[in-house]
Amino acid sequence: MVNEPSNSKTMYRNLILLVLLWEVVGRLDLVAGGALPSLSEIIIRMWIDRHDYPLHIGSTLYASSAGFLIGNILGVCAGVLFVLYPMTLRLSRGFNIAIFSLPPIAIAPILVITLSGMAPRIVLATMGVYFITMTATVVGLSQADSRTSELIRAYGGNKLQILRLVQFRSAIPSILAGFRIAAPNAVLGAILAEFGGGGRWGLGTYLLGSLGRGEPDRLWGIGLMATLISGASYFLFVVISNRFLKGSTSITLNTAIPTDITKNEHVLKTFFITMGAIFLPISIWWALIFFSGLPSMIAKTPWGVVEYLFFSNMAEAAQGRLVAAIAETLPITFIGMTAGLLFAFLLAIFSSLYFQVIRAFMPIALITQTMPLVALTPLLVLILGRGNSLTLWVTISVTFFPAFVTLTQGILLVPSLAKDLPKAYGGSKWQELIIVTIPASLPYLFAATRLTVPRALLGVMIAEWLATGKGLGNLLNQSRGYLDYGMIWTVAAVSVLLSIIFYQLVVYTERKVLGKLGMKTAE
Amino acid sequence: MKPDGIYLAGVNKIYKGRSKTVEALKDVSLSCPTSSFTALIGPSGCGKSTLMRIALGLETPDSGKVLLEGVTPAEATKIGKIGIAFQDAALLPWRSVRRNIEVPLNVLRKPIKDYTAKIQEMINLVGLNGFEDSLPGELSGGMRQRVSIARALVTTPKVLLMDEPFGALDQILRRQMNVELQRIWDETKATTLLVTHGIDEAIFLSDRVAIMHANPGKIVDIIDIPFERPRKMSLFSDTSFHKLSIQIAEILHGQ
Ligand SMILES: Nc1ncnc2c1ncn2[C@@H]1O[C@H](COP(=O)(O)OP(=O)(O)OP(=O)(O)O)[C@@H](O)[C@H]1O
Ligand SMILES: [Mg+2]
Repeated sequence: MVNEPSNSKTMYRNLILLVLLWEVVGRLDLVAGGALPSLSEIIIRMWIDRHDYPLHIGSTLYASSAGFLIGNILGVCAGVLFVLYPMTLRLSRGFNIAIFSLPPIAIAPILVITLSGMAPRIVLATMGVYFITMTATVVGLSQADSRTSELIRAYGGNKLQILRLVQFRSAIPSILAGFRIAAPNAVLGAILAEFGGGGRWGLGTYLLGSLGRGEPDRLWGIGLMATLISGASYFLFVVISNRFLKGSTSITLNTAIPTDITKNEHVLKTFFITMGAIFLPISIWWALIFFSGLPSMIAKTPWGVVEYLFFSNMAEAAQGRLVAAIAETLPITFIGMTAGLLFAFLLAIFSSLYFQVIRAFMPIALITQTMPLVALTPLLVLILGRGNSLTLWVTISVTFFPAFVTLTQGILLVPSLAKDLPKAYGGSKWQELIIVTIPASLPYLFAATRLTVPRALLGVMIAEWLATGKGLGNLLNQSRGYLDYGMIWTVAAVSVLLSIIFYQLVVYTERKVLGKLGMKTAE
Repeated sequence: MKPDGIYLAGVNKIYKGRSKTVEALKDVSLSCPTSSFTALIGPSGCGKSTLMRIALGLETPDSGKVLLEGVTPAEATKIGKIGIAFQDAALLPWRSVRRNIEVPLNVLRKPIKDYTAKIQEMINLVGLNGFEDSLPGELSGGMRQRVSIARALVTTPKVLLMDEPFGALDQILRRQMNVELQRIWDETKATTLLVTHGIDEAIFLSDRVAIMHANPGKIVDIIDIPFERPRKMSLFSDTSFHKLSIQIAEILHGQ
């Protein structure tokens, strides 16, 4: 990450300009007839509401910290297990993809009916954290210097000693980076669960409760508070990792290629592992229902869902509603995601021509990473109303920012030597763009797509749930109201499945395209 | 009869790559008597590192027998009889010089406090006193290399295996380190196998030079080095030294 003094100076200048502009626009009620109040108005309102905040904040903080803690413990332990026994990593692939790509809002109602109290919120926060920390741990541990690992092995050291003496310590920067990204995600998870289920306290509940009352200044105050909390959690870990990481970076480049475990493997073995990976999440679902001891009326097993959708007396009606909802949700997800990605790609490419632009804009783009963007949908409702354009803008905004950050950081990694080559032959900036920058950023475009698939679906479903009354999000919300448990489980299962399919499609295309170009995938 | 320090018999190793198969080692036999110094020399890719890795038990041979001090590599490493220095210093960047030297002791679960004197002795031996608490990032390439040699010696090994430990050093420093290594070896009398690219280094240090050819990797000749010990820097410019160098170079290039 770029973090030089001159950089932060321009960042502060830009921030101050932004706030001034906001103040003027807000005071003059320029946006949607006062839907965007000025910062000072919002702060005054927050002061008036000051007695409401502590309990709401406390509740959200409690759920997200508990989820953060549990998710990190699970993530680090799973990461260690996966590295020690690579077979477990392959077996858990299905489970991991499911956790990564499922839209949290889809399973929030399920958690609310199967668990009670704070548990649904903690679980959702945990799920937001687990995947990030697990990946960071695996990447960190396996990037450890293989030469020193061999030294330990040569002295008769076992896997655990390699882990303790070499891998764990060298994984710490990566794990800390994971914590940093996971912290805002825990807050987001908690707020989404508050949207999805009852409970009196929590910023999500507060936001939802204030949505119908037409008080923009209060809504913005809550949104700002949520952003502040998740931003603070992010910067806490920035400070910690800066403290910790002084002067112990590796000295020489490790050129050893990680061993390919699928080499020379019997086809049957590969087949069974793949089957295992597919059936593990389904078995976990089954086992959880079984051990929860909930009545089958409420808690559906995988088979229960199939039965509901195909063999029950309401099967036909259920199918009809489901298909109609999917038909509403999918196109707008596609459009929003494509627009967000395209916009990000173009902007990243063009700002690479003007280096200063990236450097000035990057810190602000990074800050957006810590915002619980999806959770701020109620604010967009104020400005955009409850039509399709709301869904579109939510989707674009939740895909644009992460994609832009991924792409720009990727472009910054293009060695300047490679860029100098066209220059040395008298090439123009455009030639440099076409010959070097665009091809080099392709892996990052795919990485960004992988990252945004689940977010896009989440964005659409949240907008549908809270505002537009269409598609899968609305179907979920309605079924919740009608206590149509079969449909709740079905929508959850279908949206997870859709996410997984999308994700796998992207991964497949990525392998094909990058393979053909002889490029490696970017993490 | 005492077992050989290093004993390899009929070792074969084939690597099956994606596009082709490499016979990295073909029927390689080598025995180094206890307290002898053997240098292994050969063109790049002839299997020197592979041989070394097999001797360390990091790689299993397709066939053949490997014994260190009469036991298998796995057993020998477990009881701390082996010292290792790799081509690349391979230090842990977050550990100070002293703590890097402690690594083998950590692995072998030896109490560090019994070894404080020994560790200091090793640091002095490689001429790094005053740098005990420096991090590897604050040292020069040659100093890092010396840390790795101190680390290899800290367990007082009976068998010392070194894969181009001076590969990263310039000629002058290399000569100095050669003299140092000879002195250290004289004191410890560990059975040593040194992989190197330098003919002069091989002759200067060793009792015997084993010469390898590539494709398939095999030992083609073993030359005895008759010079008296301790050898001095002046040996490098001796005429008999030159004759021997030329002889080895000819075998190396297959004439
Ligand atoms: N893990 C591996 N997989 C496949 N082939 C390998 C592997 N390790 C070594 N080889 C092959 O075995 C042969 C011998 O390699 P080795 O590293 O032992 O050579 P070397 O003599 O140490 O060379 P250098 O002097 O360059 O270090 C080479 O042809 C190499 O390509
Ligand atoms: Mg080698």
